[in-house]
Amino acid sequence: MSLVETVRSASRALRSNMLRTVLSILGIVIGVGSVIALVSVGLGAQRQVTERITTLGTELININPVASRGFGSRISQASNVFTLSLAEEILANSPSLAHVVPLQQTNGLLIYDGANLQATVVGVTPQYADVMRYQPLIGRFIRQRDLDELEAVVVLGAEVAVELFGETLPIGERVIISAGGRRVPMLVVGVMEPRGQVFLSNFDDQVYVPITTLLSRVLGTRTVGSFVASAHSAEQAYDAVQQIQHFLTRKLGSSNRFRVSSQQSLLDTLTSTLGTFTVMLGSIAGISLLVGGIGIMNIMLVSVTERTREIGIRKALGARKADLLAQFLAEAIVLSVIGGLLGVGLGWAGSLAVQHYADMPTAVSPSAVLVALTFSAGVGVIFGVYPASRAARLDPVVALRHE
Amino acid sequence: MILQCVGLTKSYRMGSQEVHALRGVDLEVPEGSFMSIMGPSGSGKSTLMNLIGCLDRPTSGNLFVRGSDVSRLSADQLARVRNREIGFVFQQFNLLASLTAIENVELPLIYARVPARERRERAKLALERVGLSNRADHRPAELSGGQQQRVAIARALVNDPAIILADEPTGALDTKTGREVMSIFQELHSQGRTIILVTHDPEVARHAERIVHIRDGKVERIEEVVAA
Repeated sequence: MSLVETVRSASRALRSNMLRTVLSILGIVIGVGSVIALVSVGLGAQRQVTERITTLGTELININPVASRGFGSRISQASNVFTLSLAEEILANSPSLAHVVPLQQTNGLLIYDGANLQATVVGVTPQYADVMRYQPLIGRFIRQRDLDELEAVVVLGAEVAVELFGETLPIGERVIISAGGRRVPMLVVGVMEPRGQVFLSNFDDQVYVPITTLLSRVLGTRTVGSFVASAHSAEQAYDAVQQIQHFLTRKLGSSNRFRVSSQQSLLDTLTSTLGTFTVMLGSIAGISLLVGGIGIMNIMLVSVTERTREIGIRKALGARKADLLAQFLAEAIVLSVIGGLLGVGLGWAGSLAVQHYADMPTAVSPSAVLVALTFSAGVGVIFGVYPASRAARLDPVVALRHE
Repeated sequence: MILQCVGLTKSYRMGSQEVHALRGVDLEVPEGSFMSIMGPSGSGKSTLMNLIGCLDRPTSGNLFVRGSDVSRLSADQLARVRNREIGFVFQQFNLLASLTAIENVELPLIYARVPARERRERAKLALERVGLSNRADHRPAELSGGQQQRVAIARALVNDPAIILADEPTGALDTKTGREVMSIFQELHSQGRTIILVTHDPEVARHAERIVHIRDGKVERIEEVVAA
């Protein structure tokens, strides 16, 4: 009998007991479905993280001060050496770097026309827009002249602009920024494009001011919170990290007083963590696939017993061991492959449902589908072999006598 | 000789007891003959039928089908002999309920690896010979007992076997239908088929040319049937 005929006759045998067939593949359907759905959640998270970090740019490097032990009431942070001039020194000593942007941020209250709004006030340099690939939607960004002249200008994040001004065009309006115990009126010169949440910070509910203005007119300090640097290209990020580390260790006398981390290394760490998480989810779901396989074996064993007489008849008519082995194995495989296909559908639907209702990103990968289908066919073979070989080994005389 | 038994014995172990079902059977079946095997239950007649049908192997002795010894063949080799040389007709018809009449008739051809188109043609012809071509696509449950047995006979014929081996073929049929089925066997015999009929019914057995009486695992006597 040809392969097509074997499969066709197997499908027919399965159709003749529809309820049982459906019940027996349920395990596989749920098993494959949960593998597909859970892996899609894991992959979705992985893809989202990658996308967000890539939007920021994998050539980005963060340089942060690390708290060190001090004595008594003296300032015990390395941050007192993080200054505007250090940013220029880092850039001058790291040939792989394109920009170094000093950052300082503080929580402040924005007041406009009797309304107010809590926002993070971020002191930046003009390069910030290039480094973060973040452009104003209307108006302009901070300029070098603003820094030089300590101008009281502010660029609003998209959400801040909407919340504070509503329909009114904010450009040219004055807001009062109240932070660090001072109230400074500032002129709105621009509104940034919407960017959304990237990790812990939401770009859209921040406002941007010249860092010099923030340091001297609001906070009254000379030190900055951190640096964000960008390498000439993503490929040069690693070299840049080495150069910064080398320079700062020499400059600050110790490598324990600062931390340099590239977006690329962050991306690698997160991707591998989420990868592990995905594999784990998939494996847990894989166990249910195994349970589904046992269900198929159970049904196949019942089926072989029930059809003992049929096996006897087929043997009397000349069926060899291999013929019966093929027949019952085909039934088990058809069962599990149909179960697998339905499971892929269920998993896909489940993944769409998660995306829609739980608002989590999901990604059904073709490889997960392929693996799940191959696996379920494999389950059919593994758990079909034993019942099929029982059928093949039956003594025709005994089988024919079976009622 | 199309079939020859030489000193066939068959013993089983039933617990600690050794049961000798056949104690040395010698039998010759000439080509084109019609023979009945009769005997009371427990006589060994079923065991003999299983051996002749190549469903089982003898404990000792030899069985020749068309001159070749089949008594020491492997299970798969025996399956091949059954497929090519033996056409079974059973008391309970033994059709597969999920298949149509013509598909049931095709089964032996499937195991003989006959291509699908030729299979269909030959199965059609076999059904025609038992007068059931108009029921080809019916399932066994939609056929009467007599029709089912005719499908079974078509299935036995389809591979053109050396011997048609019928085990109580009228046992599940009423007298009239039984007679119709027997007339098919008569007709097949007249066309030169070799037929072996296993029965306990003397009336049925008399359709054959010779009746082999089995008792206590041996051939008791061979009776020539005088045409009425």
